[in-house]
Amino acid sequence: MSVRYGVVGWTPAKRWYDAVLLGAIALYLVGYTELAPMLVPESRALDGQSLRIKAFGSAAFLLLTFALAIGPLARLDRRFLPLLYNRRHLGVMTFALALAHALEVLGWHFAFSPTPPLVAALSSEPGLGTWPGTPFVPFGILALLILFALAATSHDFWLNFLTPPVWKALHLGIYLAYAAAVAHQVFGYFLAAANPGFVGVTVASAGLLLGLHLAAGLRGRRAPILGAEWVRAAAAADIPEGGAVVVEVAAGEPVAIFRNEGQLSAVSNLCAHQNGPLGEGRVVDGCITCPWHGFQYRLADGCAPAPYTEKLATYRLRVEGGEVFLDVRACPPGTYQQPVPA
Amino acid sequence: MSGSPDFFIGWSSSPPRPLRRFLAVLGAGVMAGAIALGIGLGFAADDPAGPGFGQGGAPVPALVFEERVTGTLTAEPYPVLHLPPSPGLPRGRALLLAGDGKVGVGDVAAMAGQSVAMGGFALRRGDIEMLATGDAPEVVGPGAPVPVERLGRWRITGEICDGKCASGGMRPGIGLAHRACATLCLSGDIPAIFVATAPVEGSAYLLLADAEGRANLAAFRPLVGQRVRLEGEVLRQGAMLVFRADPRPVAP
Repeated sequence: MSVRYGVVGWTPAKRWYDAVLLGAIALYLVGYTELAPMLVPESRALDGQSLRIKAFGSAAFLLLTFALAIGPLARLDRRFLPLLYNRRHLGVMTFALALAHALEVLGWHFAFSPTPPLVAALSSEPGLGTWPGTPFVPFGILALLILFALAATSHDFWLNFLTPPVWKALHLGIYLAYAAAVAHQVFGYFLAAANPGFVGVTVASAGLLLGLHLAAGLRGRRAPILGAEWVRAAAAADIPEGGAVVVEVAAGEPVAIFRNEGQLSAVSNLCAHQNGPLGEGRVVDGCITCPWHGFQYRLADGCAPAPYTEKLATYRLRVEGGEVFLDVRACPPGTYQQPVPA
Repeated sequence: MSGSPDFFIGWSSSPPRPLRRFLAVLGAGVMAGAIALGIGLGFAADDPAGPGFGQGGAPVPALVFEERVTGTLTAEPYPVLHLPPSPGLPRGRALLLAGDGKVGVGDVAAMAGQSVAMGGFALRRGDIEMLATGDAPEVVGPGAPVPVERLGRWRITGEICDGKCASGGMRPGIGLAHRACATLCLSGDIPAIFVATAPVEGSAYLLLADAEGRANLAAFRPLVGQRVRLEGEVLRQGAMLVFRADPRPVAP
């Protein structure tokens, strides 16, 4: 977490993360452009430019699929949570690969002409207005533009400048980019390809992603508790030491009720950083710790420890007969609430 | 820092010990999966040329010339330089003409029927050849007559391609890999070629014209790069087949 913007703090974990990421991308590209051609008969060998176009484009799509799978995977299996912290590195690399794909296309199919490559790309579609020719190039361009916008605003400066809700809404555009990329590839297949290999991978990837999101969404789903003031939230015994239960309320944000050293505290379940699910985090060093990026908050008042300034809404609790009751009316962020023994 | 042994905080220096083995296996799996996927998808990548592309006729030997080559120029439907017969090539050779890049050879209509000398570099694929000219063509005298033989009406299945890629400038192909690229070439006045799926009178490459024998890209443009079946008259002009096709595709 940070209150200022400085050089990236590199930790061994982050170095390993990026090493595996870059290594996997390099291996994929080498496998595609250097090793696979050794197995292909000369009669159907592709030229280097066409291979690079396909390799960069498919690498971008597969990396984006992986990046989008991390969220639901981490909810289904907490061991995947470490992949989430630097997920934005995957997003930026996805854009870099997609850009390389686009530049290869412009430098090959739309080069060597008096018409500028970008003009040529946007004007040379011969089947304009006829299915399935028209949507292929525009869908690819749409995906690239969204990826650019998201990569350019991935830094925490933009998160604070835009505010977390706006930033998060903007970055949900990644799903639109993914849908556009799928359409780009599927239309491409209908236009040309004789081999269903990559379009099969595309459809399978999209299906897998949809399945993971559905599974994660259904797993964490709870019926909201009705009530405008005090409601029964949970049995005290169900709240683990150092962890939390999440309560969905009919009006307002979900609430996370944490237990630390035998006392209960309630805060908004949405991290002030990127709206991460605090209730899936843990209490570390006496602070609620977000599972996504490690932002921390004190239990009693929802404030990040100095020098950090983030604050969470807090909630009143009471315990009667082993049952935890919650006042669903949120207190202003940073309001002190005496932890309740339970 | 204290906390759960299986809870990794992103900014901490390393994951808790119980998670390290899982993450190491995951990392190795990602790397192995990446190279396997790369090889698999690279191997399965479509060949835009298709298995039969360029095998429609008997390959002509490489054109050898010093600086310039001389022949009779015809301008319709596209500029072609017809070289005189030579051993093994009783009809001579027909060189499609283009400029350097995705541009045509320029306006040479005034030179039609003349003997013209021009330099450049030759492209060749199977029995189709192109001269990408490097300098201005020069009229050197009256040209020899170019015989025209009518070969009847045909329904031919194939793809409209630009003559430069068909002649080996790039890997030509069906559809996506080539479609917009070919259209850009054709818009730049590169000769349009109909690449038949099976040879017609010994060649799979036919210079494309409309029914009146003119280049008519506007009519054929929506069909570029798609598998289509067209009907029309086929002529042999020197060593080059010309397909005077109706731009309305025939149902297969």
